[in-house]
Amino acid sequence: MSNEQVVLDASGLNCPLPILRAKKSIAGLNSGQVLHITATDPGAVKDFEAFCKQTGNELLKSGEDNGKFIFEIRKP
Amino acid sequence: MASRLKAAERKASILAVAKVLFADKGFHGVSVDEIAKRLGVSPAVLYQHFVSKEALYEAALNSISGKRESYVNAVVEEPSDFASVLMRMTQVFVDSVSRDPDYLRMELMSALEDNAAAKQFFENRWRTFTDYIEFSLKELAEKKEVGVIDPRMASLMFQGMLREALYTKCILKENRYSDISLNKLVKQFIDIFLKSIEYHKD
Repeated sequence: MSNEQVVLDASGLNCPLPILRAKKSIAGLNSGQVLHITATDPGAVKDFEAFCKQTGNELLKSGEDNGKFIFEIRKP
Repeated sequence: MASRLKAAERKASILAVAKVLFADKGFHGVSVDEIAKRLGVSPAVLYQHFVSKEALYEAALNSISGKRESYVNAVVEEPSDFASVLMRMTQVFVDSVSRDPDYLRMELMSALEDNAAAKQFFENRWRTFTDYIEFSLKELAEKKEVGVIDPRMASLMFQGMLREALYTKCILKENRYSDISLNKLVKQFIDIFLKSIEYHKD
């Protein structure tokens, strides 16, 4: 399994684009891999919670860093 | 004297009255005093729940606009083609607005008032659609699944069609279109929109 970080920069995108982009990125991951997401839309926090609840992906991390929102989502 | 209500109930009753008044007279046409008087309480009671008139206005809008979770569901559910996702997203918006047309009235009033916060609120709501359409059309154009079209113009066209459908059925209630339901009207508009951009799935 690749240990390479899979990163999605969703900065500047508003709902529903961060979710759309994440959905596409996760489709390309192997089971167990983690997607690292950066977003600027404050709504992304609730959006990714709902996204993981709906899709069964695991929300490992949801926080802020340097004024941006960061998320880590693991594909089951 | 107003009976003592639990905080959540009090907040909900404030929002309900504020919404009706804002929809009728706009943000500038309604004072906090008037809302308080209508509720039979002092303005101080309102300020216990909302820090400002602006915050109350935004909360009133949020209480009747579609929930973010519903848009997330619309995006992640299958089928995931552009038309299906657009239809589901539209349905979320149409369902919430048709349940409470005061949202549309507040939007109309805000367009005429000089209320930057309200304008931004409504612009953000439409951006859910315009951003989705513009982003998707760029991708679809690369795959030649749409005709040659400016994505910004296409998204504005969609916004106009949808807004007109909602105004026609929910505000104006024109007799001319009384024989067609809002959902059917919206579906037909989406079909027209997809034809106009020459959308075709492989």
